[in-house]
Amino acid sequence: MTGNIRRGAIVAIGLLAALVWCGSEAPASVDIAAGIRHVSQEGTQTDCGAKARASLDAFLQDAQESSPGSGDWVAHSTNGIAGTPTATAAVRCYGLPTGYVVTFTCVVQLPDNPYTADALCLDVAHKFYGGAITALAALPTPTPVPTGCATTNLVGTWVSDSDSKLTFTMDLTGNVTDSEGVSGNWGLKGNTVTFTYYGNHTLTLSPDGKHMSGGGYSLTRKC
Amino acid sequence: MIVARLTVVAVGLSLAVGVTGRPASAALDFFIGARTVVKDAPLSACNGKARDALISVLGKAAEYGDTGNWEGLGATDASGNSFAAAAVHCYPLDAVHGYLVTLTCAAQTPPATESASVICGKLATAFGGQQ
Repeated sequence: MTGNIRRGAIVAIGLLAALVWCGSEAPASVDIAAGIRHVSQEGTQTDCGAKARASLDAFLQDAQESSPGSGDWVAHSTNGIAGTPTATAAVRCYGLPTGYVVTFTCVVQLPDNPYTADALCLDVAHKFYGGAITALAALPTPTPVPTGCATTNLVGTWVSDSDSKLTFTMDLTGNVTDSEGVSGNWGLKGNTVTFTYYGNHTLTLSPDGKHMSGGGYSLTRKC
Repeated sequence: MIVARLTVVAVGLSLAVGVTGRPASAALDFFIGARTVVKDAPLSACNGKARDALISVLGKAAEYGDTGNWEGLGATDASGNSFAAAAVHCYPLDAVHGYLVTLTCAAQTPPATESASVICGKLATAFGGQQ
């Protein structure tokens, strides 16, 4: 008997550890490029600023001077998978007695961003003073949150048929939170629902995606 | 036997917490730091201070060739990922017999514990505090 328990414990630990491992997000890292500087023998800091803005907006968006007259221009990418920008660049201009000096600094978040900081900075700099432009991969767009009573997921708010005060909010990542803040998980294969909430329960999703019942639960989706 | 079962339940529960307790999404934080003109000082002084300041604040510093353009990276995790970075650009200004220096910083929060502006503030202090 003791051996069975030990084996069972090992199996349980293995399965749960695998779940933890699979559920963890890949670690991201900061990638920086700061090696490009250009000196122009003609033009003013204002000229530099105009070119900085145009160069940044060619690959990023919302290029703005950090403070009026500073000569420091910053822009960022569109939102990545996580819903925030994954690339940023700065073009900093400084007027000289004749001409100006300008530096290019780029930072991206890997692996969420599809191109490196070097690739971004090279393109911005080449756009500024001339040179070959290499197309940058488009950022993956955030997954839109499904709406309606889809039969392919359980995303939305569900109300208990036996107690209208008890609701469950189910999100895209498989998390469930009830109206009192207790959390659990959901899974869907075909029309079979695995509902982990104070234990594991198996429910069946209706053909219209609006109801599910079984395992002591009967729920209706608001949609 | 009861102890063994309780142990299994406890381990299962603690791991289940790990499943649901996923890390928050990281955001890229960027900060335009100080720009300073230093008179009557050689460019080599800027380069030396840039290297030392980056090492003292982030731990690592490297110059792009012999350009006066420096980058620094924060401590890495077990996978070699760094979550903080900064750039220091040094440029000679003949008109004032000195140099121009700019600081630019970035952090990925979380897991970085300090924002990009804090990193740039520390860099400015470390750079300015050197003789």
